[in-house]
Amino acid sequence: MHKRGLAFYASIYRKILIQDLKSKMSYRADFIISTFGMIMTNLAGFVTFMILFHNFPTINGWDYHHMLFLYGFSLVALTPVQCFFDNNWNLRFMVQSGDFIKYCFRPVNVFFYFISEVFDVKGLGQLAFGIGTIIYAWIKIGIPVTVFVIAKLLVFLLTASLFMIALMNFAAATCFWIKGSGYVMVIMFRFKDFAKYPSSIFEGIFKIIFTFIIPIAFIAYYPSLVILEPSNVPLLSWISPLYGILFVYLSYRFWMLGVRKYDFTGS
Amino acid sequence: MNPKRLLAITRAGIMESLHFRLGIFVTLFANLIYLVLVYYLWKAIYDSSGTAVVNGMTFTDTMIYLILATALFNFLEMFVVWDMSRSIQSGKIVLDLLKPMRFRKYTFWSYTGNHIVQFVLTFIPTFIVVMIVTKGAIPIGLNLVWFLIATVLALMINYNLEMLVAPICFYTESTWGVNIVKETIVLLLSGASIPLAFFPEKARMIVQYLPFRAVYDIPLSILLEKNGSDTWHGLLSLFAMQIIWLAVLTLAGNLFWNSAVKKVTVNGG
Repeated sequence: MHKRGLAFYASIYRKILIQDLKSKMSYRADFIISTFGMIMTNLAGFVTFMILFHNFPTINGWDYHHMLFLYGFSLVALTPVQCFFDNNWNLRFMVQSGDFIKYCFRPVNVFFYFISEVFDVKGLGQLAFGIGTIIYAWIKIGIPVTVFVIAKLLVFLLTASLFMIALMNFAAATCFWIKGSGYVMVIMFRFKDFAKYPSSIFEGIFKIIFTFIIPIAFIAYYPSLVILEPSNVPLLSWISPLYGILFVYLSYRFWMLGVRKYDFTGS
Repeated sequence: MNPKRLLAITRAGIMESLHFRLGIFVTLFANLIYLVLVYYLWKAIYDSSGTAVVNGMTFTDTMIYLILATALFNFLEMFVVWDMSRSIQSGKIVLDLLKPMRFRKYTFWSYTGNHIVQFVLTFIPTFIVVMIVTKGAIPIGLNLVWFLIATVLALMINYNLEMLVAPICFYTESTWGVNIVKETIVLLLSGASIPLAFFPEKARMIVQYLPFRAVYDIPLSILLEKNGSDTWHGLLSLFAMQIIWLAVLTLAGNLFWNSAVKKVTVNGG
């Protein structure tokens, strides 16, 4: 495969994106119902959160507004995986039916071509919801608004988003080896619901597992500490950007390994 | 309908599920990790609350409730809406409708096979793990029998809910949206994501009479002998609610399906 420049891939992405949006527009009812569904899932998550706080005023020393910030942070951090990497959900059907082979015949990176095919517009609703929550909690906690803090917020939101992308790549790629692996993705996607709680709740061996192996702690907790407790940031928070990049790279290699395996078995 | 034919369909469903053995093993493993997450979250919540009993639920009660709700979810999840939407897109639905058997009946019995496999291979192991970990916090007695009956009823109610929602796809050509709305409502209002006992008083009054509760909350309440299900009166009223909702949903589903099926449009196939 030829190595191509970033500009080349950017222009292809734009073209594929426009095609995808055009085809989505032709199913207007679907678009409206999907957006409504996305709002519903966010509302349901919020209601669960409120019910929890209705019964328990603090969780592990975290009060309502700090938890709300963490919640909003996790929603925003989960937007990129929702918007840009949604096609991973179709991978197992493509692989099972053999349609996946079409991606292998193009002179572009297989992973790039496959992922770029779908842009999920409804993820933007979640983004708006998350930003609103962050702003509300931000005001209530009284975090100072400076350019530096906002720059930090953006960098660490981006960092946090890497982990879910990597996790979903890993989960989706299992279908190259395991038949009927759809549930791996479903459960991995449910793990994200735990990102909105402080990871200090884990103990012992599971603290290590949920920090480094299934890095739920990095989806919101560690990156958000940079903003929430600027005087007492743990080392792991500062390392998180590097670890995120490494994790995404590993998931990409794993995904591509699956593609190679797919080629060998044929279909 | 000849029961032999129904059994044959169920058998085919069982064999189809058993084909994905590794998938089942992975599911079980992923479930165990999920259970660990639930455990730590609720342990932290109860530790910071300072009291052992909240709304009549102890930590152990909450754990058992949520873990078994997840296990029930795995085994009740039917993907009818997904499967149907894919058959509409591919045109396979026409072949299914042409079969010399009512579509709704055929689908139900072929899913039954899958349910049996899931029950034996994921629900029972989870149940045993919970029993061992909680050291006999689950009362053992007649309630197990009532739980099984309630679960079968829950399964039928869930199927009818799915069948009530699936035909919406015929009209809207939307599947993800319809399905996610259904799933979100069911999971929240059935007590699968947070036990109904924690809902505020007024919300609980309303939720109590909705059909969603009959899917997760009623079987689990019966198993844990909560909500007065340890008396005959309480038990019977819970069963009565399940049966009434089953009847209503079956009737409504039938009517809706019969009118919706005429609307099926298949592009190619």
